[in-house]
Parts: sequence; C-alpha cells; structure tokens
Amino acid sequence: MKLSLIANSPDMETMIATSMLTTTSGAMPSTLYDRLKAKPEKVADIVGRVEVQHGNILEHNRLVWRLEATRDEVLDIMLRSKFFNITEAGPDTWVLSCNLRTIAEYHQIHPDEFSRELIESIKEAAPHVYGFIKGDKE
Amino acid sequence: MKAELLTYTPLAEVKKVFPDLETDLLLPHLNYTFAIEKVSRACSHQLVRHRVASFSQQSQRYITVKRLSEKIVVPPSIGSNEAFDDLIDSASIAYQKLVESGIPKEDARFILPNATETSLLLTMEGKSLVHFLGLRTCNRAQWEVRALADMILEQLRAVEPIIFNRAGPYCYQLGYCPEGRHTCGKMKEAIERYRVE
Repeated sequence: MKLSLIANSPDMETMIATSMLTTTSGAMPSTLYDRLKAKPEKVADIVGRVEVQHGNILEHNRLVWRLEATRDEVLDIMLRSKFFNITEAGPDTWVLSCNLRTIAEYHQIHPDEFSRELIESIKEAAPHVYGFIKGDKE
Repeated sequence: MKAELLTYTPLAEVKKVFPDLETDLLLPHLNYTFAIEKVSRACSHQLVRHRVASFSQQSQRYITVKRLSEKIVVPPSIGSNEAFDDLIDSASIAYQKLVESGIPKEDARFILPNATETSLLLTMEGKSLVHFLGLRTCNRAQWEVRALADMILEQLRAVEPIIFNRAGPYCYQLGYCPEGRHTCGKMKEAIERYRVE
C-alpha cells in the first residue's frame, strides 16, 4: 500500500482556530479567519490546545491522496471507517480523501501502518495537528 | 446576511494527478468552507438538515445575546409589525433579566426566538453542495435560505465554473422539475435565471 498526498484545503490550522473561536466568541467567522491568518503564533497556540475529542473543529478541511492498494486493502479501510471517500481510478489505484478528524479518530482506534502513513503525510500541511495526533498514541 | 467562501480544495490540483477521471467522480473529494454570517436561527436550522456537512456555529451557551432587537432577522412579509416587535422586546427584557439573575446562558436562551441572528462555518463536499443548491435555490425554498444559496452559488461559480456552472435549482440541473404537484410552474424562468452564457 502506498499513499501520496496530492491536495489539501489551504490554511487548515487557521481554519481549526477560526472554528474554535467561532463557537465561543461573538466575532464573525470571516473576521476571525482574516485576523488569525495574520497571526500564525496565535493559531499555533490555539491548535496546541486541541484534543481529538474536539471533533467538529477538525472537519473544516479535506486532504486528497493517490492510493496504490489492492481491492482487499481498500475494503479493509472502508470497513474500518465510513468517513473515507474512495474512488477507483485504475488498476490498484484510488483517490482517497478525508478530513483531519477522520485521521485523528482512525489513528486512535487503528494505529496501524496505514494510519502512520496518513499521519506522516500531514506533517507539513498541519504540523501542530500532526504533533498532537502522534502524541496521543506514542 | 453574508456568505464568504474562505477555503476550498481546487479541482485542478486533483485533476493534475487524475486527468482521465470524470469531474463528477471527483466531487466527493473536494471541500468548500464558507463563513455564513447574520442569518436567523430559522435559516441555520434548515442548513443543518443537510447532514453530509460540517458546522461550527456560534454557541448560545457561551455567547450572550446583547440587544436582541438589533440582532434579529425580520422577514420582509412581516416588516414593521407591532405584534412581532412587542414579542422581540419582551423576549429581550426577559432574557436579560434571566441572565442578570444568574440563570446560566444555556438555559436563558430558551426564551430566544427563531429570528435571533447567528453565524457559523459551513463545510460541504462538492457532491453534497450540488444537491444542497438543487434544493435551496429552488423557487419553493424558503426566502432566506434561498438568498443564502444564491450567494453561495455565485461565489462557487467564480472559482470553479466547470463544476458549478451546472449547479442551480434541480429543474436547471435535470431539465425537468422533480417537485411533482408542488412545482412552482415557473421552470422556464428559473432555468433562464441560472443559465450561464
């Protein structure tokens, strides 16, 4: 099985911070987003306080991978989590996508090789989420 | 009311790797996140009916509603109406009294009306979004959520015309009205309104 990240929503961690503050502050979400984009240190601080249990704030994003895997391996993934979107793109080639919540929760329940590959692929796009997901288990 | 597209996953990035896959097959892999601002709670109740989506909404458990009469959405059909205005004033006073007397905000909010303004983040994948637009830009949709859906569609067409020039009310998408006996009877005009040259 081989995973390559091919696309993701931009500014994923800024959006997580925006989502957190939207629920608890009276400010408009677009204002919060614009303010936070200019303050990466504040984003890092907020995202550093996130826990896997804070489910829905991790959902405002999507990551898309090219997956090389057999049908049996893909079936295994689908049976383990209903939150992956998978499309057949050719022989043993698939488009796979999900959000950060799916990755975090999958890793909690199935810390297997596939989940490790998923996590390693978000290291650059969502460094603080990468940190807390890894820290959660290891 | 305001809807602003904050982020999305561009179709072109996925197409670069999978050029031969039909765009429709890629829709579930593309996400769109909007800031939806100053809509009524009546409107947000309709949004959350669309279950294949993610929402982060201002919480009335944490945020105090100050000056309710300035933070409401008034339907054009009501406009300036004594009965409506009286109820908003009464609700405003009662809410304030409850909060000041130490009742938790999560309980005091039981008195707030559906007209109360709210703001939220909405994220939907492409396929669900096309379905949402099919239902909510329809003439039969309620005026506020229809106005919101129109704003959303306009912004999506600006960034991803290949996908969203085909989106609009179901009569526009399908070429027939699926509403059966509830049809608005104005399919031609609706199709014309959403047609892209």
